[in-house]
Amino acid sequence: MHFSHPTDIVASLGFQGITTGGLPTFIDVGNSFGAPAITEDNLLHQLVQNGKRVVMMGDDTWMQLFPHHFERSYPFPSFNVKDLDTVDNGCIDHLIPSLYQEDWDVLIAHFLGVKVIEVLKSQSETGGLHENTFLLVMGDHGQTINGDHGGGGPEEVETSIFAMSFKQPPSSIPSKYNTLSGESDLDKKNLRISSIQQLDFAATISALLGIPFPFGSIGHVNPELYALGAGTLNFKGVVENCENQSKLEEWMLNYANVLCMNSWQVKRYIDVYSASSVIGFSSEDLFHIADLYAQAAEKWVSHTKNFFTYKNESCNTVLPALERQIDAYSNFLASVAELARSKWTEFNLKLMAIGFGIMFLSICIHILAITKVKRQNAISFSASGDSGISFGLFLACFIVAIRACSFLSNSYILEEGKVASFLLATSGIVKLRDSIKKKKKMVLEVIVFLLVITICRLTIEVGLSKQTPGFDFSKFYPSWMLRSTYGLPVLSFITEIVPVIFLMLLAIFLYKAISSGCSEGLCKYVAMGSILSYMLIAFHWVSEINILSPGWVLGGIGRNLVPRIIYAIGFAQLSLLMFHQLFNREKSFDWKKILVDKTVAVLSSCSSTIIILLGKQGPLVSVAAIIGGYCIMRLGDIKHDANNKGTGNSTIDPLTVTQWSILGVCLFFCTGHWCAFDGLRYGAAFIGFDEFVLVRQAILLTIDTFGLSLILPIFGLPFLVACCRTEYRKHVIFTQLSLVYLLYGLIMATTVTATMVCVAIHRRHLMVWGLFAPKFVFDVVGLVLTDFLICLASLYYFGHNSTPQKQIDEK
Amino acid sequence: MKHKRQGRPAGLEAPLALVSAAEAFIVHLICAVGLAVSLWVAHNLLFNSLISHPSQTLFLIWVIECPVVILLYSHYRQNRQQSSYLRAVGRGMLTLLAGALVSAFAAIALGAPVGAKYLSSTINWSMMMSLFAVVPAASVFGSSWTDWQRLFACTKPVGTVDYMICLPAHGAIIGSWFGAWPMPLDWERPWQEWPICVSFGAIAGYLIGMVASFGFVLVRGILQHTKSD
Repeated sequence: MHFSHPTDIVASLGFQGITTGGLPTFIDVGNSFGAPAITEDNLLHQLVQNGKRVVMMGDDTWMQLFPHHFERSYPFPSFNVKDLDTVDNGCIDHLIPSLYQEDWDVLIAHFLGVKVIEVLKSQSETGGLHENTFLLVMGDHGQTINGDHGGGGPEEVETSIFAMSFKQPPSSIPSKYNTLSGESDLDKKNLRISSIQQLDFAATISALLGIPFPFGSIGHVNPELYALGAGTLNFKGVVENCENQSKLEEWMLNYANVLCMNSWQVKRYIDVYSASSVIGFSSEDLFHIADLYAQAAEKWVSHTKNFFTYKNESCNTVLPALERQIDAYSNFLASVAELARSKWTEFNLKLMAIGFGIMFLSICIHILAITKVKRQNAISFSASGDSGISFGLFLACFIVAIRACSFLSNSYILEEGKVASFLLATSGIVKLRDSIKKKKKMVLEVIVFLLVITICRLTIEVGLSKQTPGFDFSKFYPSWMLRSTYGLPVLSFITEIVPVIFLMLLAIFLYKAISSGCSEGLCKYVAMGSILSYMLIAFHWVSEINILSPGWVLGGIGRNLVPRIIYAIGFAQLSLLMFHQLFNREKSFDWKKILVDKTVAVLSSCSSTIIILLGKQGPLVSVAAIIGGYCIMRLGDIKHDANNKGTGNSTIDPLTVTQWSILGVCLFFCTGHWCAFDGLRYGAAFIGFDEFVLVRQAILLTIDTFGLSLILPIFGLPFLVACCRTEYRKHVIFTQLSLVYLLYGLIMATTVTATMVCVAIHRRHLMVWGLFAPKFVFDVVGLVLTDFLICLASLYYFGHNSTPQKQIDEK
Repeated sequence: MKHKRQGRPAGLEAPLALVSAAEAFIVHLICAVGLAVSLWVAHNLLFNSLISHPSQTLFLIWVIECPVVILLYSHYRQNRQQSSYLRAVGRGMLTLLAGALVSAFAAIALGAPVGAKYLSSTINWSMMMSLFAVVPAASVFGSSWTDWQRLFACTKPVGTVDYMICLPAHGAIIGSWFGAWPMPLDWERPWQEWPICVSFGAIAGYLIGMVASFGFVLVRGILQHTKSD
């Protein structure tokens, strides 16, 4: 039999679909919350509940999905795909003895190869031990000739199922239930080829074994498989004589009974689903379904009496009635499956096209605006000043394009952090080459930059390994290392104290910045407020370490008080800056200095909140971010000084802006986030608060998630302009700043568009709900936030100046 | 050509060793044959291949290829009055280690795995990269900074020897960069391990670079002939 799924499924998700009988839908996003075990009601759960003994052998994925369900199990690791033999030989070793034992009801043997057929051939004589055994051999997913699986092509979503019963089929079922033509019986073997939806599998097996249907199943008991299992399948068509007829009648009555239960269960699921879900089915659809069900049920009630009272009446009257009954139920079940499929697994192509149109338009507007600003103000992308495409521009486009294309594959999305650090390191090496070319040796900066990237990458790897279930730290670190870490109190003390030291380092940085930068007025006080916040954070963490000493016992209020004070200080700083922006006009003409002051002030006021939300890793990552950003700035400086000495021909290197945005991506992954819903650090939302208020906690979670990857980079972008310039003319600086913001927006928009395209292409892919959809949600939220922040930043930095680029950002 | 040589210090004014296209072809051929021999030895005598035993095979490659490259390129050393043949060879040996350090650092920054398991293959891989990219330049130019800058920062090869050094080196580096791309994919093939596909990329890039350099030298020779006519 052909066995085809609605969308499709590989390995673990495959088992889920097979055993729960539901459509693989948005529920699978739940997999993204990090629970590998199937928590939905499923076939195996029902088997165990009903006292059936299940024995499993083979692929250990089953153990992750159903940890407590098996009577006995012989799991074998299936990591190495090339090595099919370990699993299969293990299976065969255990299979044959198990076949002679009588202590199981259901035996699952998961083979990776296809040797199973040969093994089972030797066991399949009738009349032996397995006369009453029903054998099913099936694949959980298909694959293409190249061995790819997980895609949406027919080769990948269709697989085969082989069902065999050793019982002599005593009777026939009407030929109308043979959905496909039964292949002729050469050699007197009953062979039949047909197709069944994966959806129907769980329901059919439940019916055969006589256990309740899984709660979430919307499948329909397949007549052929049911007939085969019940030992009533025959191919000779409807036989006229009445003895056979009565057997047939009995079978049909059974089948109608099963369908009655099946329909009741599906109806209950649909009712519960539409009562609990926010956007369920439309009321007309529900009404239609309820109507169909009511009709069928009414018929059933009226007929059941007849079936039992007129049992010995001629078969001709009962049979058509039963047939009609079965039709009514089948009709109901089919329409439910159809409805569910259309609601859960189909996509609104029109809306998708509109979304693409908007993104495409925004990219076009960005490019147009960039070229316009560039031409009007004689800013060039390359130091040599010629109109052609410079190497820097080419490389920036190339890197963005590679990053965009990498979203096509689920593996690259999984390892996005590493890809980003790879690209960042590449751009650093190219910058080294440039600096040597321009005879400005910046080897030290490049080495520091590469070291920072290396550390980031190692942190990302640790984060990635946490993400995979069943992760074992001892794989990465030898056991003596762990033992010594946990054994020595000194080391644990060091891990507690290092963040505090780095926090002090940050405070010193900031102090140096405001004292040497000779900034005056409000900005200075704002920055001083941040230093105060840092002290408070340090105090907070130290008090958490010495929780045992009686002097520090402050109770719940004390624990929450410090974070709340820090949020308040941050908010006060930002509002001060806002009022300053509204009511104060700068007298100074040193625009560069003003810009730097403003940037330092806003960054410092944001940073304290972000650091306390990020927790102990916060100061370390912030220092890494500052060093990385400083190196990018210095390396971006190469071209400016080398080539234009007062010519008025100003340059912006797009590669620098690209590096800046990719650094943000790296920091996102560094801080232990990843693009999935279990990648959010929910604990961060409750720092300073114990009870849950949706808006407040959502804001805190957003700040934690995008703080280092979007908020700080966007507000920090003026550094790229201000620190590289020798010129102080206001006009030049501000047009450059707007160009930098436009470039940043363009990079983000391109990336998100690429994600959208990839999700659209892979909308039938197995991983779509588990991987592509969360990535898409993260990217879109990121883009919305980026545009919002760019608007804020341009309001803040450009202030009273004319801002021609603002309307472009606001689209 | 004249004004580009102006940058050189006066001591290095000695003319470039005159190298014909045929000579360039022979040098490249010998290098390629050395590479092939080392792969053949690994495959047929030790029953190793790059996929099954990457570390040992890479070791074999650089050990066999090392004398070939250093001895060959030391023939074309610049500044013949001051540096003897032996000195050029010594320079090459020293640079092998220095270049390996640099390429190992670059590889780790770009994402090569760190750990005791990968230590030997990283060392052998970086030795091979150093041999392909850095050693020929060191044998020929020694410590002449302007030449290094011209070849590796500006990528402006001038003479035949410049082409012979510059193009294969760039080929090896760019090839290994692209070779890293299949690594994260979930095909779960054995060659996706570090450093196998990167080494394949490097070797392929090196070979392509040699072919390209021979092509450039040939075209330049023909053009110069027609000019002088």
